[in-house]
Amino acid sequence: MSIQLLETVLLMTIVTYGSRVLPFLLFKGKNVKGFARDFIELVPIALLAALVVPELVTPSGTIVIVNNPFLWAGILTFLFSKFVPNLFLGILFGMSVFWGLDKLLV
Amino acid sequence: MSYKADTSNGTIEKGFTYGLSQSLTIAIGYAPVAITFGILATQFGLTFWEAGLMSLFVYAGASQFIAIEMIHQGATPLMIGVTTLIVNIRHFIMSLSVVPYFPERSLPWSLGLAQGLTDETFVLNTKVLKNVEGEENRRRVMLGINLGAYATWVSFTILGGLIGKWLPIQFSGFQFALLALFIILTTSSLSKKNYFTYILAAALAVFLKLLIPGKIYLIISVVVAAGIGAWWRGKKASESVGCDSQKSI
Repeated sequence: MSIQLLETVLLMTIVTYGSRVLPFLLFKGKNVKGFARDFIELVPIALLAALVVPELVTPSGTIVIVNNPFLWAGILTFLFSKFVPNLFLGILFGMSVFWGLDKLLV
Repeated sequence: MSYKADTSNGTIEKGFTYGLSQSLTIAIGYAPVAITFGILATQFGLTFWEAGLMSLFVYAGASQFIAIEMIHQGATPLMIGVTTLIVNIRHFIMSLSVVPYFPERSLPWSLGLAQGLTDETFVLNTKVLKNVEGEENRRRVMLGINLGAYATWVSFTILGGLIGKWLPIQFSGFQFALLALFIILTTSSLSKKNYFTYILAAALAVFLKLLIPGKIYLIISVVVAAGIGAWWRGKKASESVGCDSQKSI
């Protein structure tokens, strides 16, 4: 295992386990409300956007629309999973479409 | 208490085995996702036991997928750590709302039960624990639920890793697998209540990615978009409270 990966797993463990265990150690029971709760609720969807959209729109550093298998495979996967809400089938679909488009568009 | 009263209230003694049997529903859901994680982790350069260790220590599905994507994109451990924190800080809220079930908990129980908390075990635990009498029993039930789910996640990650080792690497579709996964997660979690934040984060991320070198654009766009989204929600909520003329701050 490389040092980098070890550091990564260690940091991930500390912050994740920390979030889980602190209330057990510190509180009798309380509720987070208001801004903090809304913020925490919105982080996952914001992160999905930040992880995916730039990779689809700018796969090689500049914005590409037409000759871009990432973008079109992404849009098709999105539509597919709207109708077939199955994780495994969706991933298979996405990979196959990307593979096909990658061959076609280059 | 008589047996009669117990059964009629549905509060028969429940313990570890009961929890373990309840965890089966989660196990069925976890197994394919864990196999997928194992396969992708090995396709993205981890060994099967590194993938297994990540599942054992981190044990948080979404952030594990995000981590291997970020490792692949060349992000630093610190960046991945910060991203994991903002993704997994939600466990803090779940933990807070489970804690009242165990007012008399000891340190080992606290340390043990905490590690088993995920989105899925949280939902199942809150549903099940309501109907379990006595803190001692509730601890054992939660331990059963958590352990079943945890063991499934770790063992099926390793299985997936072993499968991934034998798959042909030259299939170019694999470089799209994680993006496909995130897109599918987006489809199921995008709603009227959060699409504004999604669009904002997407626009910011594209803009900042072109502007700033490195991966820092991920964290900035997420924090800013979720911050503005939460502020917007708060504003709308306080406007509707204002109508009731309850209080004005």
